[in-house]
Amino acid sequence: MTWNVTLCYHSNLIHIRPLRFVCIFVCSLLIGFGVLVTPQAQSVTGRFSRALVSVSHGLIQMCGGHATQNGAILRAPGGFAVEMRDGCNAVNVTILLCSAVLAFPATWRMKAAGLLAGIAIIQAVNIFRFVTLFYLGQYSMTWFDFAHAYLWESLIMLDTMVVFWFWVTRVLRAGAAPHAEA
Amino acid sequence: MPKLKPQSRFLLRGSVLLVCLLSLWWFLLLSPMLSMLKGAAGAFLLIQENPSGDWTLRVPLEKTLPATPEQPVAQQVHSIDFDIPRSDVIAFTFSLPVYWAIILAAPGVRRNLRPLLVGTVVMAAVEVAMLLVFAEISARGTAAQLAGGEDAVGKWARQFGGYLLASVLPYATPFVVALWLHRGLRTEIFPWSSAVEAPASAPPVDRAQGRRSKMRRP
Repeated sequence: MTWNVTLCYHSNLIHIRPLRFVCIFVCSLLIGFGVLVTPQAQSVTGRFSRALVSVSHGLIQMCGGHATQNGAILRAPGGFAVEMRDGCNAVNVTILLCSAVLAFPATWRMKAAGLLAGIAIIQAVNIFRFVTLFYLGQYSMTWFDFAHAYLWESLIMLDTMVVFWFWVTRVLRAGAAPHAEA
Repeated sequence: MPKLKPQSRFLLRGSVLLVCLLSLWWFLLLSPMLSMLKGAAGAFLLIQENPSGDWTLRVPLEKTLPATPEQPVAQQVHSIDFDIPRSDVIAFTFSLPVYWAIILAAPGVRRNLRPLLVGTVVMAAVEVAMLLVFAEISARGTAAQLAGGEDAVGKWARQFGGYLLASVLPYATPFVVALWLHRGLRTEIFPWSSAVEAPASAPPVDRAQGRRSKMRRP
């Protein structure tokens, strides 16, 4: 009977962690998105979007491209213009990543490092996405709609998942893993 | 050629599959999937498709509109009609190809068939449910506007629900369902999954080994 008792004990112990992860993840997610739709947060994300457009504009000019910036709008010489609205600034996937990192059992130092690196990677990919959409829109509006609403959104979500996966692997290697805490 | 890490392999395969399957969906599968969505959601709502491709939805909703200076008698509303542009309806079909891409990019091709089939049914049901909830939120928003004097909490709740349904759930649900149904992918990302699932399939350990492992526990 000994092995049976051992298995039950082991099983009960490790069942707690997935449940804890899911609870913290869902709560963080709801709080994050709940705050995001308030008018106060909207004005902050509006400023953030304008900053991202400034960086994209700077990159285009640095690479020899031509564009003019007006707030959160980037305009091509041919007349095509693209605006970075709420939902295009990758804040939603950033909230998803933050919730997952906060919910995963690791040291606060590892969590902070994961959040900083993860947000930087996601925003770098998002700026690349914005610049590619700016050029794609000048070529074809049909392709722009497809890439903007579906393809790039899915790719950024996939990137976010892989960033989290890399971070979890690093946490386990560093010994700050859930097994080490048990 | 150096061997790629599982994460990099998953990212590369996933990105290629997303491009291929979303293109297939956009050019070939979109119209049949919209018809199926209309058929499934039509069991709960009255849906009419306009020549432009937009949908007109009739949501049953009992509400009394108070009297106003323009309308001196209170009115009883039984349903709300509103239009959804085709571009918005499309968002309720695109989670399925994203789900297929994630499952096919996951490690272990032979283990992918069952989650692919089960997940397709789950994702289709989730997409119909999301459309129904979206219709309900939109109808309640319209009714609140007609009644006038929208309360701040109700307005925030509708915005919150609308944001989740339009900007978060269609993109995040395929990943959550894939992690839920694909054991291989789940155990790769979450280390505890293998520990939880191993005892169920593993043969019982011998008594001496069990005793030793018990003694090691705090």
